[in-house]
Amino acid sequence: MIKSLTRNSFLGALIAVAVSVGVIAAPAKAADPVTLTIWTFGEVIQPGLQREYQKLHPEVKIVPIKNDVDPLHQKTILSCQTGGPADIIAFETPYSGYWRTGNRPNCFQDLRQLKTSDTNVSAGVAAGLSANEIKKNYLPWRWEQGVAFNDSVIGIPTDVGGLQVAYRTDLFKKAGLPTDRASVSKLWPTWDKFIETGQRYVSKLTPAEKKSGKGFIDDAGSIYAAVMNQGTVKYYQPDGTDRGKLVYKTNPQIKKAWDTTVKALNSGIGARLGQFTSDWNIGMNKGAMATILAPAWMLDYIKKQAPDTKGKWDIADLPVGGGNQGGTQLAIPSYSKNKQAAFDFLTWYLAPEQQLKVFKTYGLFPSTSVLYDDAALLDYKDEFFSNAPVGQIYTKGVLKLKPIFEGELQRKIDSTFGAGLGRVASKKMTPEKSYALVISDIDKLFKN
Amino acid sequence: MTLFKEGKGRTKAPLTPWKKKEKKQLPGVASLDGRWGYPAIAPFFLIFIVFGVAPVIYSIYIAFFKWDPLGESEFNGINNFTFLLQDSDFWIAIRNTFSIWALSTFPQLIIAISLAAILRNKRLKGKSFWRTILLVPNITSIIAITIVFQQLFGRDYGLINGILSLIPGVDNIDFIEGVIPSHIQIATMITWRWVGYNTLIFLASMLAIPDELYESASVDGASKWQQFKYVTLPSLKNTITFVLIVGTIGGLQVFAEPQQLNAEGGSTKQFLTLTLFLYNQAFLNNKYGYAAAIGIAITFIVLIISAINFVITRRIAGEGSR
Repeated sequence: MIKSLTRNSFLGALIAVAVSVGVIAAPAKAADPVTLTIWTFGEVIQPGLQREYQKLHPEVKIVPIKNDVDPLHQKTILSCQTGGPADIIAFETPYSGYWRTGNRPNCFQDLRQLKTSDTNVSAGVAAGLSANEIKKNYLPWRWEQGVAFNDSVIGIPTDVGGLQVAYRTDLFKKAGLPTDRASVSKLWPTWDKFIETGQRYVSKLTPAEKKSGKGFIDDAGSIYAAVMNQGTVKYYQPDGTDRGKLVYKTNPQIKKAWDTTVKALNSGIGARLGQFTSDWNIGMNKGAMATILAPAWMLDYIKKQAPDTKGKWDIADLPVGGGNQGGTQLAIPSYSKNKQAAFDFLTWYLAPEQQLKVFKTYGLFPSTSVLYDDAALLDYKDEFFSNAPVGQIYTKGVLKLKPIFEGELQRKIDSTFGAGLGRVASKKMTPEKSYALVISDIDKLFKN
Repeated sequence: MTLFKEGKGRTKAPLTPWKKKEKKQLPGVASLDGRWGYPAIAPFFLIFIVFGVAPVIYSIYIAFFKWDPLGESEFNGINNFTFLLQDSDFWIAIRNTFSIWALSTFPQLIIAISLAAILRNKRLKGKSFWRTILLVPNITSIIAITIVFQQLFGRDYGLINGILSLIPGVDNIDFIEGVIPSHIQIATMITWRWVGYNTLIFLASMLAIPDELYESASVDGASKWQQFKYVTLPSLKNTITFVLIVGTIGGLQVFAEPQQLNAEGGSTKQFLTLTLFLYNQAFLNNKYGYAAAIGIAITFIVLIISAINFVITRRIAGEGSR
């Protein structure tokens, strides 16, 4: 026993010496190759910028793995219990409430404790910055969505999903509506006016067009989220505690959003095309809808799905103004083995310069508020959308946004209301019955 | 008297102690017989215990908890089970599961037997081609199938509604929103995927029916249809039972098709199946304890169905031997 022990310690010493000699002997320049695995969705990690970073750092290999938002969330939960291969994980803001609450922030590295190294100094990211020092670049309430209730910073914001109305100028013209964006925006100062405009549009459709399912807006159900996000409180009211107070039964904003949406559904202005379904994609090409409530990130989707409609779109203000949908945080899981490299990539990728590039190619609207008075952003126009000053329009919208307290089960409650409106849209239930079912379904979420 | 004695002796005869037969060594590796046997089979059982038995026991355990993977868990007694019985979604899921099962299994039987009867035809050309092509749907990814079928069944631009709209006075059917239409859509996907596989099974057992039976039937003047009805079908009885049992097992596990159509099982839960219900409670709502309780409930449902299957199979087997 003693013998083997001494032998072991001797071996240990030998290894220690070998290692330290190796460290001393290793040339200071050759950086170790690092592979950064990024769990992401949609267009959060932009291939062009990924290539650019790899060119800056040949030793870094970036491997983005895409999932849908909800499966990714599940994967993140599981990997937090078991460990996993990811170095960076994207989570959407509706899930931020979940990760900020309780002991769940422990799943992620507190980004205040990391400091940027000097690898990106030439690319504009100074060395020695922690999350606290880059905070000032971002929209404050967007930043807060990545700060846990125990104050640790678990995620850095990517984009902010400012919401506007994308509309088809050719179809508007055909229906005798104005086509320039200023007059179109004036058509709908309120949601009621928006619905009225829709009815005017639909009344000009031929019976054949009506039969083929054409409508004013792709999915009248999407109005719900838009109205909801124009308020300041959704299903949780901040009350000083982490979890917030549940107000899904009493918040008047919900009732308002529900009633407005039901009114829109019953007015027949919707083409009843669920977003991101195959019918929606086809309908976009066939002019089945004249308007889409489009967050900035959706513009790129429209371009890709309906390339032939180039130049036929334009962008107007959202009724009432200031809508929001989506947005993502990038986080480093605590089990990551390459935290330093991951943090260096994050701070570079989410720096204002890169965010501007992402916006110009992918339409993701930057959450780096330092850009909001930058001419490069404000002067940006998009040919596809009739040269609309996309930068200006979305900046104006985003500046009107108010922070909303995102609670633990936000996403789930949102989708329950969505299903409820689906039942109304398909006329499977009366609005009253469907609403009651929504409430009882949400009640169930908090049992067991 | 002697007779009686003799008789007595005769009755006694079988009672004479039998000679102990020497145990015949089974052919095989002798050293595996004794102490090496257990280590040899251990790898399977170890893996089975770790990945089979342990999770089952663990899920029975957590079925009595309010179990959040990343939060506090608390003992919940039998609340999960009482809540399950009151949960309307559970009963809807049972309804949907059986409805989809029936809509996929019975048409599938009919189509598979008919296809097998056609393929059995001796004059058919390119036999192996047809047989191979039948298996292609079976190896196609469910996701791909769902995407294609979603387009076929699409409300506005789907092929099926396109054909229906040629008939005057027929409105487009919103397949996904309806209860039975959505079940039909899912059942069609399942049928399309499995019908070829079952056809081959039927074909194999049809080819095993001796030709003499058909010859004597045709000598007796039976038409093709009568031959099919009185010779082919009765000989397929056991195969039909087999296909039904396998179909039932598959039917209780229908998951990917509805999940791909809508992760929640539809706006009125119109195509929420039992396994999808379990999955959603665990992995959408993070209620692991409740999901474990659902798993136990599904086990009981499977037990009941197995018992019914067992009885039916025994009856059919009994009839067969008569």
